[in-house]
Amino acid sequence: MSNNRKLNFSITNILKKVLFIDLIQGLAVTFGYTFTKTMTMRYPDEETWIPYQRFRGLHTLNRNKAGRELCVGCELCAKSCPTQCITVVPMEDKTGKGIADRVAARWEINLLRCMFCGLCEDACPTEALKLGRQYELAGKKMQRQFRSKDELLAPQAIPFDFEGGVIVKARLERDEDGAVVKPDLSSQKRWW
Amino acid sequence: MSPALITILEVVIICVKVVVVCLILFMLPLPLTYMERKVAGHIQVRLGPFRTGFHGLLQPFADMLKLIFKEDIIPSQADRFLFKIAPIIAMVPVFTVYATVPFGESVTIPFINQKLNLYISDMNVGILYVLAIAGLSVYGMILAGWASNSKYPMLGGLRSSAQMISYELALSLAAVGVVMMSNSLSLLDIVRGQYDWHWNIIYQPVGFFIFLIAGIAEINRIPFDMPEDEGTLGAGYHSEYSAMRFAFFMLTEYVAMVTISTLGVILFFGGWDGPSFLPGIVWFVLKVIAFIYFFMWARFTFPRYRFDQLMAIGWKILLPLALLNILITGLVII
Repeated sequence: MSNNRKLNFSITNILKKVLFIDLIQGLAVTFGYTFTKTMTMRYPDEETWIPYQRFRGLHTLNRNKAGRELCVGCELCAKSCPTQCITVVPMEDKTGKGIADRVAARWEINLLRCMFCGLCEDACPTEALKLGRQYELAGKKMQRQFRSKDELLAPQAIPFDFEGGVIVKARLERDEDGAVVKPDLSSQKRWW
Repeated sequence: MSPALITILEVVIICVKVVVVCLILFMLPLPLTYMERKVAGHIQVRLGPFRTGFHGLLQPFADMLKLIFKEDIIPSQADRFLFKIAPIIAMVPVFTVYATVPFGESVTIPFINQKLNLYISDMNVGILYVLAIAGLSVYGMILAGWASNSKYPMLGGLRSSAQMISYELALSLAAVGVVMMSNSLSLLDIVRGQYDWHWNIIYQPVGFFIFLIAGIAEINRIPFDMPEDEGTLGAGYHSEYSAMRFAFFMLTEYVAMVTISTLGVILFFGGWDGPSFLPGIVWFVLKVIAFIYFFMWARFTFPRYRFDQLMAIGWKILLPLALLNILITGLVII
């Protein structure tokens, strides 16, 4: 059978062909969509997307409940990093501010080389290092792509217990490096 | 006023009318590109332009600035003279058509008591002139395709010529039915023949259907945009054009769309005929916009035809149907 199409000579079929019912139905569908609500996310100005908790974005260094730094400067994250973008300099802390005596004097990540694989997160024995959900990492200055310990210890805009996978309201603000999107986590909607 | 003064006044009025019509036509791509983007956005459940100005209203001006300041590239192996002149050759016929298109009844200008006709000239062979001139715009496309000295533009130009020949026939024969109804080739008389809701669409539905399909094919819009089929031909006959030369082709396409809409309104929808609470020219413009909306609506609904399907529809369906339409119209009139 070279031609599988069966010719259907019923009256309804002929009328359908002559009166272009299919084409008119198609036009009706698209005309109906003209008046539905649009699904576009207005990303930088009005809305932004909060990723799921499993998302691997910018690094963050955690503290324990008492507010102490969890990082003990063991350098396992730096050793496990495939691109060797993490620099850790440990030191002996005599004041007892850290969880142990050994803390990181310097903890720096080069985001230009980081590929967000999450191996450092896996290697961390004290669960100090996590990959957060901040994904707006572009900047005008190259120096901004080297994030130091102090920057990563600061609480991020999206807390870890926030569920994610939603669109929230946001507003576009300017800082010294360019534009920053500030999310408003109290208003959420699922966009599908 | 002395007769000499009146003659001078008439000449001045005609010149002003020509300038005004040309300015309007040159500015047409601005609102139409915006409208096309917005219609596309809403049909595809997205917003369309929103960032440039209020609701993206400055987007067409941004486009215009971009096209003006882009580098004008001419391929090294191209036929430079034809390459440069092709956009202008494409542009002239679509503008020339408006010499005979009537936009409304005559109005009297206050203060000087001079009658102002809302058309540049009333030719007694108006419809013949329009169809003949509109068919000439294919020269621009085929010259552009030839002069680019490149495979795909060449194919686009050839397809365009084949398509124009096939569909010009059906278009003209669809108009013949209307001419038989109104006993005149003048566009003004055709509109006057459709007074008081005696629109030709009621008497010539098949003719209108043929006119609509052949019209979409004439102005190369989806589903019949074979000359610029970006899936198979790159961008089609204007692949090698950039900057203002490309903008001229875009202008040509938009003005051609308005031409077909205007013709459709004049031939089948009673021109400026409508309830008297609005002036005639407003009804005319509204109907033209409705036609343009339909073209855009169809563009974002239907997939493109294959070239052999296009030819089959033109020659095997539309042409016999148009001839049959003429035959039946003739029998009914007798």
